[in-house]
Amino acid sequence: MKPRRALRRGAFTPYLFLAPGLVLFALFRVYPLLEGLWLSFTNARLGRAQQTFVGAANYLRLLDDTRFHVSLVNTAYYTIASTVPILAVPLVLAVALNRGVALKTFLRGAFFFPFTLSVVTVGLTWLWLLDPVIGPSTYYLRAAGVPVRSWLADPGTAMWAIIVTTVWWVTGYYLVIYLAGLQDIPRELYEAAAIDGAGGWRSFWSITMPLLRPVFLFVLVTHVIGSFQIFGQVFVLTNGGPGDATRTVVQHLYETAFQNFFHFGAASAMAWVLFVIILVFSLLQFRLLRGHTQY
Amino acid sequence: MSKRTPSLSRRRFLGGAALGATALSFRPRRASAQAKPTITYWNGLTGADGKIMDELIDQFTRETGIRMEQQRIVWADLYAKLQVAVPADEGPDLALIHTVEVPHFASDGILEPMVDSVTSAKGFKAEDYLPSTWQGGMYQGKRYAVALDVPQHLLYVNVKVLKEAGLAGPDGKPKIPTTRDEVLARAKQITKGDTFGFAIGTTNPGRYTWGFHNLLWQNGANVYAADLKKSGLSEPAAIEVAEFWGAIQNQHKIAPPANANCRDAFIAGKLGLWIAGSWNFTGLRDAKVEFVAAPVPRMFKQAVVWTMPHQFTFPKKKAVDAAKRDAAWAHVRWMSDHVAEWTLKAGQVSALRKPHSDSRITGDPVLRTLLGQAASWQSGQATPKWVAAENITRPIIENVYIGQRPAAAAMGDLAKQINALPD
Amino acid sequence: MSRTGRSWRAASLTALMVALAIVWLLPAVWVLVTSLKLTENIVRVPPEWIPWPATIEHYGEVLFSSSRTARIGRAFFNSIVVSLGSVALVVLTSAMAAYPLARMRFRGRNLVFGLIVGSLMIPNAVILVPQYVLVQRLGWLSTYQGLIVPEAAMTFAFGVFLLRQFFLTIPSELEDAARIDGADPWQIFTRIVLPLSQPVLGALAIFAFRSAWNDFLWPLIAVNKPDMFPLPVALALLRGAYAAESYGPIMAGAVLSALPLLIVFLVANRRIVEGVRVSALKG
Repeated sequence: MKPRRALRRGAFTPYLFLAPGLVLFALFRVYPLLEGLWLSFTNARLGRAQQTFVGAANYLRLLDDTRFHVSLVNTAYYTIASTVPILAVPLVLAVALNRGVALKTFLRGAFFFPFTLSVVTVGLTWLWLLDPVIGPSTYYLRAAGVPVRSWLADPGTAMWAIIVTTVWWVTGYYLVIYLAGLQDIPRELYEAAAIDGAGGWRSFWSITMPLLRPVFLFVLVTHVIGSFQIFGQVFVLTNGGPGDATRTVVQHLYETAFQNFFHFGAASAMAWVLFVIILVFSLLQFRLLRGHTQY
Repeated sequence: MSKRTPSLSRRRFLGGAALGATALSFRPRRASAQAKPTITYWNGLTGADGKIMDELIDQFTRETGIRMEQQRIVWADLYAKLQVAVPADEGPDLALIHTVEVPHFASDGILEPMVDSVTSAKGFKAEDYLPSTWQGGMYQGKRYAVALDVPQHLLYVNVKVLKEAGLAGPDGKPKIPTTRDEVLARAKQITKGDTFGFAIGTTNPGRYTWGFHNLLWQNGANVYAADLKKSGLSEPAAIEVAEFWGAIQNQHKIAPPANANCRDAFIAGKLGLWIAGSWNFTGLRDAKVEFVAAPVPRMFKQAVVWTMPHQFTFPKKKAVDAAKRDAAWAHVRWMSDHVAEWTLKAGQVSALRKPHSDSRITGDPVLRTLLGQAASWQSGQATPKWVAAENITRPIIENVYIGQRPAAAAMGDLAKQINALPD
Repeated sequence: MSRTGRSWRAASLTALMVALAIVWLLPAVWVLVTSLKLTENIVRVPPEWIPWPATIEHYGEVLFSSSRTARIGRAFFNSIVVSLGSVALVVLTSAMAAYPLARMRFRGRNLVFGLIVGSLMIPNAVILVPQYVLVQRLGWLSTYQGLIVPEAAMTFAFGVFLLRQFFLTIPSELEDAARIDGADPWQIFTRIVLPLSQPVLGALAIFAFRSAWNDFLWPLIAVNKPDMFPLPVALALLRGAYAAESYGPIMAGAVLSALPLLIVFLVANRRIVEGVRVSALKG
């Protein structure tokens, strides 16, 4: 990306463009975030009128909170395990749809439809599908002679069942994003490559992927950030179970803030620890994928 | 009567007159001759129960002229919202909550105490109520709530499943178990293929704490020791219950997996004996399931039945509007007087004694069974840490249920975690 | 490859994709089918995929329920207002913010971008309560703006990130040419960059709409008047009080709730896939 010369005439121009968004952002994101940071150093509780400064007590308590550690491990496991399926499946579908297929609208709509459902609907549907007694998957597998397992009640398979559910749910949206990116790649490049004798696989790697890089990076970073904050579908599908096998950080945080203890200060501390962890991960990703992209 | 009301003398006078009038008779009176206030009312009675509550509220409004603006929110979210809204003075005039939530809301200053003279002036007396429900509204010697009804456990018996297992008499009536040995024996006979004999809990039997508490109480154990300070879960009686909890799926193999939907399994004819809440039976009737309601069997020493009464409370306000408070009291009074309607339509037995002899109620087999359990009713302990303790109990008993952890070690760990709960 | 070979390949790829799409839709089909079954037929083993006899009583219950507090029709309207308002606000502010971050050099550029992307890493649950206090002080509880503005703020960072990445992929020659012709930044932005970005703006609109449409937690605490509840909060009323789910109305509510999103998708999707091709403009 060639550097732009600063627009001398309108040195304020960038700031004018940014102003509306930044006002919104500063007031409704930054200010509550900073207040949350402040609260993480207090013993704030919902319902308690005053809070007192307690220094790093909330953070230190996290060192002893084994359930917090378990939830961090679970969240990291989910993030890493889900990355390939959630990134690759929509990409494959997008490339296929971008080629010469008929019935594009139906296909796009079909894959996108799950994304229109709320997390509760998705959870209830898959709970029924995977139910070990009355669920269709159980019924058909049993009919096929496969030994019946309770996917969501087995610590070894619960997280994977959640990943499958999530792939079903969000693929449609990443598909749309990939398609938007693929649209920007000129057809002529593929035609030229075909004339030169390059096959589909080769042109994918030498044309599609490089030109899709900013989009791919966006999808990757957004997915990682989102995975670290996964909550909704886990809460509905397993409520963190069996035991604490699928308990995630945000669930632990949510329960600390809004259910068991209403300890808002402690929950804020958890959020900021999570923030630091995600930040480190994201910086690593940016570095790794910097490569030839314009920054 | 609150002393913090703004001094609108006409309201005070009329409010005082209304109190005086109520003291003389037990019938609800109009609080004032002015326009009736509209009061806000939050509760968690979503689903089918909510519609019946709507009908009753409409009737209340027709009779008294007091309008009610209801917000119905699923229980867990309701409590979160209450905790956020009341300190910001955005709470409702009246809230229906569970008994076990009273201690921690009261201790957090979310609820306003009810002055005894006012309570009895409104016609609420101890002798009219069953002791466990009357006591449930108290915390540290003060009253914060008045009970409405008593959701409780019941043994549902699937007639078709038992018949197919050969457990029905010549008259077609299923053989109902009353002790643990009978339950185990019959459940083992039922369990075959994809059909299970016995389960406790609506969904996720593995972490159904309400069922676990029921069993604890049947064995004379409890979450906290009598002093409400230390956990009683490392006691032998509690460990015995935990061992049974782990045995029903792993050892006896009569129970479905930890995350099964027991209610749906029962409806689909895949579950024979089911201990679950009384709130399920109206849904079973809608789904046209052939079932019989029986008392909760005695699985351990005593035949205790778990209950969790709904309680009316007044969330705190920065400044109490006397007319609205009176209107809220009027609603509580009216609902208590009409609780037989609630029982008949929603299937929740009243906390008041009087309707228990109503022939319409005793004529319904399920309601009769529920009433019959009244002597065995028990409810959660009055400590603000009850709900927090319950929340950390869930994953641990689930681990015991799936056989991932031995009962004694799990209970010891749980007791330790409960003891470590901050105040 | 010969022409017949190519069309055979296209046909078999289409067939494969259609088969996959049908399997993909099965869980959603269950949602639809359940909403049309009689209550006593809903929970059955073996599973029944054809709702016969079919009924629309659950839809009737959801839309015209005797329950006054449900007011699903009103909740539908509220959700439309809030979602459309939120989309408009977020697309406008994100696009305007993303453009300088992609195309201009100025002091604090990296800091601002870093802050915005960084804010994505904080879970919403922790912002909720300070945001509630702020909104209450503004007097915005139970109002449309109290829902629209925070919802837009929630999606703003995502929007800026997405749009900036896309703006970076637009070849700069077009903007250079316009600048040489004397266009000012605003004209370049509105006449060149935005039209070229219709695909990604469509994608952002879908995401923002859905985020506002399905949000439950914020409206739950920020709205105290049942008349102002958006759809997810109103639909939660259909759920049984103690996990005693009544699937019929719940699934009917889910279908009704998904329809507007599907419509938004179909409308925005035309922009996305039939968007203006870069190569066409180059010529």
